Amino acid sequence: MTRIAERRIDAWFAAQGWQVFAFQRKAWTAFAQGQSGLIHSPTGSGKTLAAWLGPLQQYGGEPGNGLRVLWITPLRALANDTCNNMQRAADALGSPWQVGVRTGDTNASARARQRRKPPEALITTPESLSVLLSYADGGKLFRHLDAVIVDEWHELIGSKRGVQLELCLARLRTLRPALSVWGLSATLANLDQAMTALCGRADRAVLIEGEARKDIVIDTLLPKSLEQFPWAGRLGLALLESVVAQISAANSTLVFTNTRAQAELWFEALLQARGDWLGRIALHHGSIDRKLRQRIEQGLRDGELLAVVCTSSLDLGVDFAPVDQVMQIGSPKGVARLLQRAGRSGHQPGAVSRVVCVPTYALELVEIVAARKAWQARDIEAREPLRRSLDVLSQHLVTIALGGGFDQEQMLDEVRSTYAFAELGDAQWHWCLDFITRGGQALSGYPQFQRVVAEDGVMRMTERRLSRQHRMSIGTIASDTAMRVKWLSGGSLGTIEESFVSRLDKGDRFLFAGRLVELVQVRDMTAFVRRAKRGKKAVPRWQGGRMPLSTQLADSMLRVLERFADGAPDDPELVVLAPLLSHQASVSRLPSPGSLLVECCSTREGHSVFVYPFAGRLVHEGLATLVAWRIAQQSPRTFTLSVNDYGFELLSADPIEVTEQAVRGWLSQRDLIEHLVAGINLGEAAKRQFRDIARIAGLVFSGYPGSGKSTRQIQASSGLIYDVLQRYDEDNLLLGQAAREVLEAQLETRRMEATLSRLAQYSVTIIETQRLSPFAFPLWAERLQSQIMSNETWQARVARMAERLNGASDDAVKVAT
Amino acid sequence: MSDVDAIAAQCVTCCGESLDLLAGRAVFWAARRALLLADWHLGKSGVFGRRGLAIPGGDVDADLERLQTMIDRLDIASIWVLGDLMHAPPVAADDWPERVAQFLLANPTVQMAVVAGNHDRVQREHLPASLGQLIDWYTGPVDIGPFRLDHEPDSVAGRFVIAGHLHPTRRLVLGADRLRAPAFWFRRQYAVLPAFGSFTGGHNIRPSGDDRVFVAGPDSVIEVSRR
Repeated sequence: MTRIAERRIDAWFAAQGWQVFAFQRKAWTAFAQGQSGLIHSPTGSGKTLAAWLGPLQQYGGEPGNGLRVLWITPLRALANDTCNNMQRAADALGSPWQVGVRTGDTNASARARQRRKPPEALITTPESLSVLLSYADGGKLFRHLDAVIVDEWHELIGSKRGVQLELCLARLRTLRPALSVWGLSATLANLDQAMTALCGRADRAVLIEGEARKDIVIDTLLPKSLEQFPWAGRLGLALLESVVAQISAANSTLVFTNTRAQAELWFEALLQARGDWLGRIALHHGSIDRKLRQRIEQGLRDGELLAVVCTSSLDLGVDFAPVDQVMQIGSPKGVARLLQRAGRSGHQPGAVSRVVCVPTYALELVEIVAARKAWQARDIEAREPLRRSLDVLSQHLVTIALGGGFDQEQMLDEVRSTYAFAELGDAQWHWCLDFITRGGQALSGYPQFQRVVAEDGVMRMTERRLSRQHRMSIGTIASDTAMRVKWLSGGSLGTIEESFVSRLDKGDRFLFAGRLVELVQVRDMTAFVRRAKRGKKAVPRWQGGRMPLSTQLADSMLRVLERFADGAPDDPELVVLAPLLSHQASVSRLPSPGSLLVECCSTREGHSVFVYPFAGRLVHEGLATLVAWRIAQQSPRTFTLSVNDYGFELLSADPIEVTEQAVRGWLSQRDLIEHLVAGINLGEAAKRQFRDIARIAGLVFSGYPGSGKSTRQIQASSGLIYDVLQRYDEDNLLLGQAAREVLEAQLETRRMEATLSRLAQYSVTIIETQRLSPFAFPLWAERLQSQIMSNETWQARVARMAERLNGASDDAVKVAT
Repeated sequence: MSDVDAIAAQCVTCCGESLDLLAGRAVFWAARRALLLADWHLGKSGVFGRRGLAIPGGDVDADLERLQTMIDRLDIASIWVLGDLMHAPPVAADDWPERVAQFLLANPTVQMAVVAGNHDRVQREHLPASLGQLIDWYTGPVDIGPFRLDHEPDSVAGRFVIAGHLHPTRRLVLGADRLRAPAFWFRRQYAVLPAFGSFTGGHNIRPSGDDRVFVAGPDSVIEVSRR
């Protein structure tokens, strides 16, 4: 074994004008000692070399005789750039090692070459790693593997992709017990947990902190006067002029928005304001055609674009060196998220990362101050790893059955060695085995079902058609029922949610990919459109993008408001906002830590109660439903519910009795989950959640790309399968998982429980207001998207919907978010 | 679905004939003592099972039970299946042909007829003889009274077509509340029935202004036309 001398590295760094950071040397030493670990530091700070030079220095002095290092990236768009960087380092240090890329985009001949002669280092995604493990000779590929490095682990940890990777890593550890596993992560509140989930055994792992983060400046585009600034809304076009000026003053700007709809509208507004920017600014979000996105990314890299309006689609990725300014439209939602976005600028040495926040309505000014304070206090969110995702486990077991097979007992030990399944019960394990072999309880009488079969005690999958079907289905990335959007004249624009298209009629206009288009026809899951002239338009509502305000940010907001009440508003945002906050204080109270504010107001529309727990949109959705259900238990009635990140509103035609005792009863922790399940239509929500579970667990097969008819016989919607399982296989654990995911992910019940126990300690302040207060106003404005809660029958619901078809114009339904 | 629920009905008049649209996703034409249904897709879960997708059976029993309710409660002499009786030719392990045969033998006063339609992949020859001989099999459309019974909906001069094939469903939205239900879709020259089989998917229709649409729920049929 020939090590590369440390001075060779020092010399190369010096020649580049870099210096070796202490954390890098620490990581190399730890690697040489056979340790695993997690390196956390901001982007652009030398993390890649900290991880890569460990194994390269240790083993890279001579040819590797096969694959030695696996580099896992969450984003296949990152793979090629990472590959170039790693190869450059290897070449510069005189290593004969080759670095290769293997993702879903890698073509067949490159794959074949890799199998004949694997490169020493291979860059791949969690999904492609699973596929590699599904080949019968997969073990052979990994027999010399020394290290796995997981890039951007913070992006994977809170998702099912993270669970999938944990299982794959456990498998690799079985194949190579001395394997070192390293992760790279941005700063999280739960770094230790993140490390345990990644490295398995924590006793051999070390947490390495990178260079202190270069400073981040959080600025705000202030409205000139509060009078002309809206109290509610999400588009924030009031500041369009200032945004235009701000973009003009920089070389290259990333304009982040919170939703795809918001990105579409801002892009359009910018072009309206500056027609001469056509071609110099671009729009980038996850529904836009991939090729087009790649062209935009290249344009950013080459410094050809003045600005790109984008969503989280550009949160990650290679550094675009020319970008010197980042703007955030609307609520930052979380501290970590804002930091991540801020970090997309200022990659030149010594440069400060700066993010300019653009509030869309008045109270968002408080959120921006709150984000700044939280960052100064280094109060950053956690990302919890998922546990007991049986759909992912079922998929993985089939993958391994395909990749050479497994022994049940050894496999159980391996699975339990992961963080995600450390507490997997025997019953759950046997259910999974039963599910992949016999199709579960309900199919036990159907001998034709054969997926995984036991051969001499080894669980295997051998049937060729099923094998191909499974490899096609590997992965856990959520896929909506997306419809392609194409020009009638040919050419693809991207994808759009089927549910949006289903609400459109022929001739309806909508904004998509920065263009106003008109729906011509829908055929074969494709919406054909043509260019439309100006006129009434709708903006697609994509799912997602409605993430809640984080606990850190919400708490920080309450402290900011308290400080304002104490009369110390030195932040420029608060100076501007002072008249509005004073108005709130005079007609009602300012929300503050330690006290729950409840406002009652009667208007023409009925009787409203506004409650401000400051617990984020999702928790408020759950709480609003819970409270409405609890009140309706006493006297049947119908409520209209509105929620936002600060609180919720109940509107009823009849007066609502509001006393401290009543409020405490509404927010009682007693029978929380039972009442929630009774109140929300859990069945409907679980059915929607089941879509991804069914796909991951192999209950639906979405077909081969372009295969069309050959798989039509086995097409069924997950909703249909949910119904069938519910009827004939109600003990199916995947149904329970869907309900659990609704409670944990969609309603954030853990955060809700924490909120309720916090509120139980709070005093309750009830204020009767004559008119809507500044905090109530945004909730009132949300009513357009609000939900109705009552104990109605299917018949009554349909009757109401039918009425809507004939009454109010459909346009109301198609309003932009 | 209880006994009464499957036959909860909404009455429409079409070409002067009175038709009962049943919540159990079939049409009862009382004047001819005929029950019309489409797209049963028998054996679909078995096809899934053979392809490694773990879908439990049981749908056949539920469908037969529903049909038995209709026979018991309504005066039915014939059952017309407007195409896609089965999803794929049965294999030896499938027990549904036997179940359906027994069902028909147990109801000797009811005759089942299938309008296979021109494009059906699956023909009577694919059925075991024990079931095949109990069914009248038409390879093309059948005209009765003012109606033409067919698999695929189409406009035909001088006749009102009743068909299936599309599995129509209607999506309804009101604020955050949304639902999707199987639909009876009456257009100017034809009507499309919802799929009868429990394990069948649906296709959201986009009705135009003149169309009448009725959705089938757990215990009722409700008109949701635009007027």
